[in-house]
Amino acid sequence: MRNWLGILAIGAALLGGGSVARADDPVFNLTIQNHKFSPEVLEVPAGVKIKLLVKNLDATPEEFESNELHREKVVPAGQEVPIFIGPLEAGTYPFFGDFNPKTAQGKIVAK
Amino acid sequence: MGGKYVIMIGIAFITFREVLEAALVVTLVLAASKGTPRRGRWVAGGVACGIAGASIVAALAAEISALLEGVGQEVFNACVLFIAVAMLSWHNIWMGRHGKEMAAEAARLGSQVLSGGRPLYALSIAVGIAVLREGSELVLFLDGLVAAGNGADLGPGMLLGLVCGIALGGVIYFGLLRIPTRHLFRVTGWMILLLAAGMAAQGAAFLTQADYLPALGNRLWDTSAILSENSIPGQILHVLVGYVAQPSGIQLVFYAATILVVGILMRIFGNAGPTVSRAATAALLFWAGAATLHPARADFQVRSPTVEYQEIEFEHNGDTTFDRRNSGMSNDQSYTFSIGYGVTPWWKTELEAETAAPPGENLKFDATTWENTFQITETGEYWADLGFFFEYSHAHQHGDPESVTFGPLVQKEIGSTLHTFNFLLDKDMGSGASDGTGLELAWQSLWRINQYASPGIEYYGEIDDLGHPGKLSQQQHRVGPVVVGAVAFPPNGKIKYEVGYLFGLTNATERGAVRWKFEYEAHF
Repeated sequence: MRNWLGILAIGAALLGGGSVARADDPVFNLTIQNHKFSPEVLEVPAGVKIKLLVKNLDATPEEFESNELHREKVVPAGQEVPIFIGPLEAGTYPFFGDFNPKTAQGKIVAK
Repeated sequence: MGGKYVIMIGIAFITFREVLEAALVVTLVLAASKGTPRRGRWVAGGVACGIAGASIVAALAAEISALLEGVGQEVFNACVLFIAVAMLSWHNIWMGRHGKEMAAEAARLGSQVLSGGRPLYALSIAVGIAVLREGSELVLFLDGLVAAGNGADLGPGMLLGLVCGIALGGVIYFGLLRIPTRHLFRVTGWMILLLAAGMAAQGAAFLTQADYLPALGNRLWDTSAILSENSIPGQILHVLVGYVAQPSGIQLVFYAATILVVGILMRIFGNAGPTVSRAATAALLFWAGAATLHPARADFQVRSPTVEYQEIEFEHNGDTTFDRRNSGMSNDQSYTFSIGYGVTPWWKTELEAETAAPPGENLKFDATTWENTFQITETGEYWADLGFFFEYSHAHQHGDPESVTFGPLVQKEIGSTLHTFNFLLDKDMGSGASDGTGLELAWQSLWRINQYASPGIEYYGEIDDLGHPGKLSQQQHRVGPVVVGAVAFPPNGKIKYEVGYLFGLTNATERGAVRWKFEYEAHF
């Protein structure tokens, strides 16, 4: 039993320690207003972990979703949530608002 | 003169189609109830009530349509169809219970006459509903023709259509009768199940039209080029198996759900499983003692540490094993159904019903489980994503212990691959509890090349008691390929699936197992 606990402890340490210090992650802002994203095209550096701050200015919740980025996260009305993506290879990664897919569309371009 | 002839043929064809749909249901019911005395009376009564009902419905068509803000017609049709589904399902479940007795009795008596008792009223209601639906559609259509001034031509066309529809139904009936009695119940049981599933899908389509249900994708595929629903074979398939050339997502969900739920209820309430020989029983007890310390087997599923806030999900997990006959490890089945909800952005809770059929036994309701997933780190923020899982399981089978299972869930994304690892401890409690703490390991690596279907590899391991892990050959370890995918219908949610095959790696593990997961999730 002791051996297993030891392995768990090492695992937890690895998870916490193995990352880049959070202060270094570049931050990009995305706004949701009138069921549309702004900006609709967001340029980010490739090969680096990115912190997206998505702020929902509408009165209804929206869900930031992207199959290419493998993320789906609800952004409640009036709130700002962080979404970590990357490191991304150079390319275009479309995203959309799952609750208003017709109007909420955008893409992230990694260069 | 030629014009009138064409109109008559048109009327005949429409009448034929509607009559055929009702006739197929009558045919199937008659074949399924062959040998039961007075069934003819019940079916005829159903038909008569259906015809009377059809006239009433047609007369009140305008009023019904105006109900519920204009969608009364659709809701009425859907309700009536779901009642028919319930009647047909009830009949099938009843047959599952008593079918073997009846077939045995028929063989013993050497005659075709069987004792009554089967719920003929259920079949009668289903027949009545089929006739009512088709009849009311037909009456409305014909009324429209009369109003348009073509009344004089109704008679001959209707008669022709009626005769042809009943004739074709009769041909199919006598075809079904050629099946030997011992197989007839099973075959018609399946056909009735598919008939019910098709009706459930039809009901779902009406509710979509009424805007009570989301379509989940209007046209998942289009096979009208191969077989049009308007053709005669297409029409027959439409009634018998629920064939739809352009199905919507919700129709597929209702179709599959009806087959799954009714099929499993038929098994649970079904009678006598396969007889087990004495040698097999002995082998069973030996393996039960050697390989497992507690009756419940681990699910084959890899859990993710990610919680989706305000998302409701309906999930079904199933698996079945394959091994040499009489090893006591073959045909070990498990089916679970759960409803889950993301209560906060970091806590998802689920209630699950577990049913299982150990080798040689019937399907039983094993346990009710309360599962909780806690997302501890923000996805992608650290080197890996961490979550915590905790479940409490209440056993329903007499003598089975309660149990808790808990442990970390870890997930890491590397480029386009996703790796998930579960390390869960489980402990029995209460009466029948074994002393040790068990370990359940699960691992999945996916190569996410396509959102609809991505390949991967999985591993599952089980050690019954960490305090006495025993030799590797006494533990259960499995590995195998898996396909994972999802189909989304924004903003109406998505359907996710996983299907895999697992190869047993040790002596205490079955040779092979198939496992699957189907899930519908949506924002709520």
